[in-house]
Amino acid sequence: MLLGLGALLVGISSIATQWEQPLRATVDIDLSPRSLPKYMLFSLARGWIAYGFSLLFTLLVASWAFYDLRARKFLLPALDVLQSIPVLGFLPGLVLFLVGLFPHSNTGLELACVLMIFTGQVWNMTFSYHDSLRAVPPEFRLLGKFYGFNWWHRFWRIELPCGAQGLLYNSMVSMAGGWFFLSITEAFRLGDQDFRVPGIGSYMSVAIERGDVRAQLFGIIAMGLIIVIVDRLIWWPLVVWSRRFKLDDFAGATVAPSAFQLWLSRSRFAGLMGGLVEKLRRRFLTLPDRPVTVAGPAEIPAETGGTGRWAYRLLIGLLLAALAWGAARLVLLLGQVPWADWREILYCTFLSFGRVLAAVAIGTIWTVPVGIWIGLNPKLSSRLQPFIQFAASFPAPMIYPWILGLVLLVGGTLQWGSIILILLGTQWYILFNVAASATAIPNDIVSAATLLRLDTWRQWTRFLIPAVFPGLVTGWVTAAGGAWNATIVSEYVQAGGKLYQATGLGALISRATDAGNFPKLTAAVLVMAVVVVGINRTLWKKLQVLADTRCRFGF
Amino acid sequence: MSDPSSQPLIEVRHVSHEYGSTGGHEAELVLSDINLSICGNEAVALLGPSGCGKSTLVRIMAGLITPSKGEVLWKGSPLTGVSPGVSMVFQNFALFPWLSVRGNVLLPVEHLPPAEQAARLEKVLATVGLGAYEYSYPRELSGGMKQRVGIARALIANPEVLAMDEPFSALDVLTAETLRNEIARLLASADHPLRTMVFVTHNISEAVFLATKIVLLAANPGRVDVVVPVTMPYPRDPDSPEFRAAVENLHRILTHTNLPDTAVAVADAGKVSTKVDETRRRIAPVSIPYVTPAEVLGLLGLIDHEATDVFELAERLGKEFGSVVRLVKAAELLGLVRTPGQDVEITPLGLEALAAVPTEQKRIVREQLLKLKIFELLVRLIKVQPEQLLSDEELIRELTIALPHEKPRQLFRTLLSWGRYSEIISYDQRKHIIRLYEGKGRTRVAAPAPLVPPAPAGDPAPPTPPPPTSPAA
Repeated sequence: MLLGLGALLVGISSIATQWEQPLRATVDIDLSPRSLPKYMLFSLARGWIAYGFSLLFTLLVASWAFYDLRARKFLLPALDVLQSIPVLGFLPGLVLFLVGLFPHSNTGLELACVLMIFTGQVWNMTFSYHDSLRAVPPEFRLLGKFYGFNWWHRFWRIELPCGAQGLLYNSMVSMAGGWFFLSITEAFRLGDQDFRVPGIGSYMSVAIERGDVRAQLFGIIAMGLIIVIVDRLIWWPLVVWSRRFKLDDFAGATVAPSAFQLWLSRSRFAGLMGGLVEKLRRRFLTLPDRPVTVAGPAEIPAETGGTGRWAYRLLIGLLLAALAWGAARLVLLLGQVPWADWREILYCTFLSFGRVLAAVAIGTIWTVPVGIWIGLNPKLSSRLQPFIQFAASFPAPMIYPWILGLVLLVGGTLQWGSIILILLGTQWYILFNVAASATAIPNDIVSAATLLRLDTWRQWTRFLIPAVFPGLVTGWVTAAGGAWNATIVSEYVQAGGKLYQATGLGALISRATDAGNFPKLTAAVLVMAVVVVGINRTLWKKLQVLADTRCRFGF
Repeated sequence: MSDPSSQPLIEVRHVSHEYGSTGGHEAELVLSDINLSICGNEAVALLGPSGCGKSTLVRIMAGLITPSKGEVLWKGSPLTGVSPGVSMVFQNFALFPWLSVRGNVLLPVEHLPPAEQAARLEKVLATVGLGAYEYSYPRELSGGMKQRVGIARALIANPEVLAMDEPFSALDVLTAETLRNEIARLLASADHPLRTMVFVTHNISEAVFLATKIVLLAANPGRVDVVVPVTMPYPRDPDSPEFRAAVENLHRILTHTNLPDTAVAVADAGKVSTKVDETRRRIAPVSIPYVTPAEVLGLLGLIDHEATDVFELAERLGKEFGSVVRLVKAAELLGLVRTPGQDVEITPLGLEALAAVPTEQKRIVREQLLKLKIFELLVRLIKVQPEQLLSDEELIRELTIALPHEKPRQLFRTLLSWGRYSEIISYDQRKHIIRLYEGKGRTRVAAPAPLVPPAPAGDPAPPTPPPPTSPAA
């Protein structure tokens, strides 16, 4: 334990020096495996710093949206839109802006990297926490009032415990998605400007650039190690621990702890740390002597004092002004885009839309049967679960050059091949969700279906597909969202020193980025965002409603 | 198919079944050497306490589960896969929420010509009284209506055997009554094709009301105890003396097998277990039944001074027969009740416990528990550990060796619950460590003194019963 802590300290100090280093034109990446641990550490640090921000944002914004009814009305739709737009398109703007803010150090670049990962992580966490705030049993809140809890106590004693499980599950999903953004942003270049930062992503990109297969292999192994280590040492113990916060099940108290968790709970050092935490907890969480009987402003926002109301209005006003200013800038910028470009954008959108649909369709065709098969075999599913989770967490762009090589080898082009690249990263979401749905089919329903002796066609149309439909829809939404993001990197791939392009919105965005054509870039990103949000609002929402009303068990 | 009653439709031969056997650990025997046959025109009830594997048995007959040992014959030939002539009704209905009533009911006959489908649908919906609900979805229906859909779906295929797994236990009492009557009417009517039925129940009068043959099962592991024919003609009147006599008779048999009227139970309690003996009429191995101390003390309050019988208790508690039997067994093990015949009566010690204050109750339970071999084993185990800290895994391992026929985890939880209640042990849920309880630990209780004096390290002496401490001091 002490060793691990020491390593952590060394790591933190080296990260700090890296951030303060002056900005260089290019980054030197050492491809020898000996420097890999350092890069792994850098990447891990970025991932976790971003996660820290995500958590903070989640707790603040979700609570705000929950307690402030007026804010909720615009926060929730805004979050929903933010969740569905392809954030990768905003990368160039963000990088340039932040590098401009910190022209003399690496801080701007690092911040851009962290922010990109943050935008990939935060939305589902926020939604999950907001949902669990709404689901806090009213008795708990009453009890809190009864004991004179202030917001601080209410947060630690009631809200966080109730939201812990959902938050944790979504954190795992977020962290997995974070690696995808990390691998791309660490290796980001704009035209002939090199914005790469040392880390596992840039290591891979340099290895690919130089065609160093050995280094690529090392990179992939290192990425895999990161995922496995984070999963085993951090998420798994937390998942076991968080089961105590299950609200509805008191019998489930005896879950088998993992070996690591047992070791941790019995280790002396951990006991010592636990004592420290306990002391801190007492120090900060003991109730004040006199019960605080202030009704939370939260419950009755209308009754807040006059100054508070004015400050609130001012805040909203500022926000609106900022939005208006942004919109005006946007219109001005878009005004510079010639008609030919708009037509090109629309044509490319059409093509990319086709690719996204194709990728989702192919993903559905193979993952639905496999997911059902896995889900209906409990032994198989517990054995395969870690592998699927790994595959879903692994950032696919890292192996794009290899897959592209295969595609070119069989005589394909990137025009079609990019579908496979998109598929690579997104199919797992469908598999994951379908398998989860299949696991949840009640035993009796399976028995009934077996006894009905349905033929193959009816077996699928009457039983299996409707039974996994809720999971399938969730999988589709996630996969399609990921697919749009993936178009940006999979329609425009550098492999073996050559650049391959496909006609599509993603390639167009990448090209505009490389050329520094900001009006066109903005227009393309905007169109993509509108298309994605539009599809979400129409197609996916409708399917979700259908799945919820028709295909849920336990009526 | 010469004479339907001459050859059994379903024959179960030497069937044993265990769960978890392929996983390699804790294989759990649920059925042991079952022999049974179901002939045409029979209505067979599988009756028994929970845990006797009756639901598993009916699924094995339907071909949904392949037994670990033995075979199932359908009309004389071995059954592989799902049985061709069996339809099933499930306790929780098992309707498809995405299909309407019509869609659900038509599922088994969709391969038939449309005219035939329509004719059958109309007939079966009329039979179960669902005509007006054809286009409703399951979630719009009440529990009783849902089960009607379940029954209609089973009947529309004209099954040779209708299997039902506790079909009425998810319904409220009145609805269950109505549906039972309707099934009885179907069995009685000469023109309806439903002639043969096998159903699972834990309700004695339900079995007598519907069955022509009642198969009584005993638990741990599930085995056929006795087969009782019921010859009364349909419709049966639950208030008739004949009916009452039949129910009474079944009561007696069930009590006899579940509460063996011997002194063996107490003496044998810690001696861990009796091997499954060949006569099949053996006494179940005795460990501590899976109940909580609070339940047992509550039971004492219910019995009070006069003797009651188990069925009355079950009725008063609104609990299933099997779980009441477990409760009574636990109380008997602690010497708090006696069970002469099918009666349950409270012992002087029980009366004392009933009148005592909580700390005193704990003392009585503690003393009784420490007389049991299994607690002796537990205390000894803790004492031989380094620092006298016993881990979960260690205890479960020992329990598996000591009581090979019990479910170790369940037994472990029961031991913990009793041991903690009676302040024999304390348990750290986070570290999964058990230690002997010492009165002045972090959990301060009003009056208790140290129960088991902490033995000097390295002294594996057998535990001395703790000196009774008076709470009045």
